[in-house]
Amino acid sequence: MVQYSPKLDTAFGALADPTRRGILERLGRSDAGISELAEAFDITLTGIKKHVGVLEAAGLVTTEKIGRVRRCRLGPRRLDDESAWIATYRRMLEGRLNRLGDFLERTREKQ
Amino acid sequence: MTTTTEQEPMVKATITTPTDREIRIERIFNAPRDRVWKAMTDPKLVAQWWGRGNKLVIEKLEVERGGHWRFVEHAPEGVNGFEGRFREVTPPERVVQTFEWDGMPGYVIVETATLEDLGDGRTRFVNVSLFHTTDERDGFLQSGMEGGLNESYAALDRLLAKLG
Repeated sequence: MVQYSPKLDTAFGALADPTRRGILERLGRSDAGISELAEAFDITLTGIKKHVGVLEAAGLVTTEKIGRVRRCRLGPRRLDDESAWIATYRRMLEGRLNRLGDFLERTREKQ
Repeated sequence: MTTTTEQEPMVKATITTPTDREIRIERIFNAPRDRVWKAMTDPKLVAQWWGRGNKLVIEKLEVERGGHWRFVEHAPEGVNGFEGRFREVTPPERVVQTFEWDGMPGYVIVETATLEDLGDGRTRFVNVSLFHTTDERDGFLQSGMEGGLNESYAALDRLLAKLG
């Protein structure tokens, strides 16, 4: 169970997913509509809306409804390399503890 | 050894960020505290789980106050060195150590791990990682990796590819 608390955590969660990182890269080139993104990433409208919602909650993306189309663009939040390192470290730490748990389980069988 | 799904109930880790400089991770291990401590501090045992399935060379693991630890992981993509020093060692319940990756020189993370004996053969493990950033950012910016959002994500992807 992973509990996300505000600020950096929402960005961690948002960035944990490769599709969401892809969306940010795509929006880094130009703004896009929801359906364009859905096409580009070959996922359903519902799926893309969910991803965009997570990115929006983290401040990484903003959306605006223009007529019948919802446009997405990069949000006010910018991540620096330090944040990238913290996110990476966090994944490493989680992985390390998982492996330690697996190791303890394995060696218990042997005893 | 293949039935890993059976252990799901205790694999749950709780992760919180008390501040944006701290990551707290808590998890229950289904093993007595002495075994957890040994797995964390005996080089022969550490080598069996720390390295993400890659070859891990434990160059140093001096588990004592002021002691130095250095692990080098030989992954298919390259070699990653990690190191730090022990600030406090209280077997089998508490260890405070620094953590640095060669790829981010100057970024020091202080890890405080506590092991609590739950009295039923299990151990509650809590680790708080504190990021020190006083002057490190300057050194990092000089390395030329600062830049726009896309560069940051490219850097993130590289890091994740290497370390994830």
